[in-house]
Amino acid sequence: MSSKGLIADRVLGLGFMVLGVLAAYSAWTLQVPFAADPLGPTPFPVTVALILLVCGGLLVLKPVHRFEPIERPAAPPLMVVAMAAYALLMEPLGFMPATALMACAVALLFGARIVFSGGVGIITAVALWLLFDKLLDLPLPKGILPL
Amino acid sequence: METFSALGGGFAVALTPFNIMLALMGCIVGTAIGVLPGIGPLNAIALLLPFCLALRLPPESALILLTAVYYGSGYGGRITAILLNMPGEPSAVLTTLDGHPLAKQGRGGAALAISGIGSFIGATLSVVAMTFMSVPLARVAVAFSPADYVALIAFALSLLGAVGGVSAPKAWGAGCFGIMLALVGVDSGTGVERFTLGSLELLGGIDFTVLAIGLFAIGEILLLVETTMRAEAAKIGGGQRLTLKEVAFCLPAMMRATGIGFVIGVLPGAGASVASALSYTAEKRLNESNGKFGQGDIRGVAAPETADNAAQIGNLVPMLSLGIPGSGTTAVLLGALLMYNITPGPLLFEQRPEVAWGLIASMYVGNVLLLALNLPLVGVFARLLSVPASVLYPGVLALSFAGVYAASNSAFDLLMAIVFGVLGWLFRKTDIPLVPIILGFVLGRMLEDNLRRALSLSGGDVVALVESPVSIGLWVLTAGALVWPLIMVLRRRG
Repeated sequence: MSSKGLIADRVLGLGFMVLGVLAAYSAWTLQVPFAADPLGPTPFPVTVALILLVCGGLLVLKPVHRFEPIERPAAPPLMVVAMAAYALLMEPLGFMPATALMACAVALLFGARIVFSGGVGIITAVALWLLFDKLLDLPLPKGILPL
Repeated sequence: METFSALGGGFAVALTPFNIMLALMGCIVGTAIGVLPGIGPLNAIALLLPFCLALRLPPESALILLTAVYYGSGYGGRITAILLNMPGEPSAVLTTLDGHPLAKQGRGGAALAISGIGSFIGATLSVVAMTFMSVPLARVAVAFSPADYVALIAFALSLLGAVGGVSAPKAWGAGCFGIMLALVGVDSGTGVERFTLGSLELLGGIDFTVLAIGLFAIGEILLLVETTMRAEAAKIGGGQRLTLKEVAFCLPAMMRATGIGFVIGVLPGAGASVASALSYTAEKRLNESNGKFGQGDIRGVAAPETADNAAQIGNLVPMLSLGIPGSGTTAVLLGALLMYNITPGPLLFEQRPEVAWGLIASMYVGNVLLLALNLPLVGVFARLLSVPASVLYPGVLALSFAGVYAASNSAFDLLMAIVFGVLGWLFRKTDIPLVPIILGFVLGRMLEDNLRRALSLSGGDVVALVESPVSIGLWVLTAGALVWPLIMVLRRRG
């Protein structure tokens, strides 16, 4: 058991404790305008938050796990950026262009060459558009494409 | 005997070539829908209903088609759960626990096969149970009070520690985190906003699809992109194929899972997620000495998949025999019946036997079709893993996002799924189990709603929670489930 792992578990336990305290406080201070039922919206979340607090405390006192080292530290953050950009571009650009860009970026991160990745992006975008918009009749944003 | 002749009449309806073709079509659509993340049978049925009306299908044919989509979806959710560690349906979450380790050992095909067989057994035996005791069962189910539900859900939650894996504080912490996520939004009882952080988008709460896709699909892909140079992903083959001996080995587990699944399914509102969780933990507890659950025990795939399909069929019982839908999807099926001017209820079996019995008979046929469809295709599905990562994962990710967006039409939900994805990645790194989060999320809201309903009925009297024999029995089981691990720990030390 490495010392790094113990630290990771302690940080996690602290995170649970902080979340528990904040949630308990937030539920405890709810302003309830009228009592629709004898219990109301407060006791249940407070109880759950207290259990979370105890679990966090136990983790801080008795950490168990080794933390797995990150092998390619750049890849996950880059993918998060690509996905976040996708979420923000979906409506302005439209489903197909945004999806093509995102799928291309993810393919690159998985080690594909640029031309291949571009192909993956375009095929994925068109296939999903046909599946959702045409076949399942679930409309997706058209965006800049004249469809 | 009366039942047999009625069922015979049902088969006369179900076995016409036209209706067999419709059942087959429904099974194929259902399986495909089960594979797609976020898109459930509800969407597919809502989509096919106008098609049925436009083609002027007779009511029994329409119902055969739509119901086949419904139970067919129970066969689909497992495929991505086993091969990619990404469940396509809420009830397939438990299947990832042992199904994916099996796939990593090269036994993905075997896991798919046993889950298909389990689904078949669970569904078919449940249809048998439905054939003979639909109406009395439904009456018992409706008599289940909110207090009984509180006890049932508390029991299901008490098993969280068992599905969690290594560390009890981590499993319970994860479960509590899931429950709190479920409470986000406007409280239906009082209109008070809870945990919304002042965000308008969170008022309606967090959607299950967003959470599941974030934690499982995005989290898994983040982990894979980070370790892609290592041979971490599942293998196509190499492991032993499913043997008859293994099927026989799983049979007791599948029988128990059918019982659990069907009973839970008949209860309105409880549903397939509860059933698959309960049956998985039951098997794990029963086989503590000889199991390797969590590392690829074949029973860990058979049990939840069997229970899932048994519960789906059970869910139809209160809908058909009393006209009370137990889930969103059965509510849509009920709507379909009403559009044909058919009122479900005890009289349906006498007044429109061709509809009621034709449907039941078609479910026997449909499940045979599904098994026949699924087993030969196991190898084809497993081929999914031979697709290179740089093609497969962009596709899976885009499919997940499209599913989230199509369900909600909100870019905010996409961002939320990404946040859950990062959390899922961090949780995997720190060994926080994901299944308790999902179970807490599904069960937490149910627990609070029923608790408050029960206390409203009793005027705040807590004793009402332990008045019925059913609830007392379940509370005893709950206490046992909570105390048992402590005893085990003390024993090991002593």
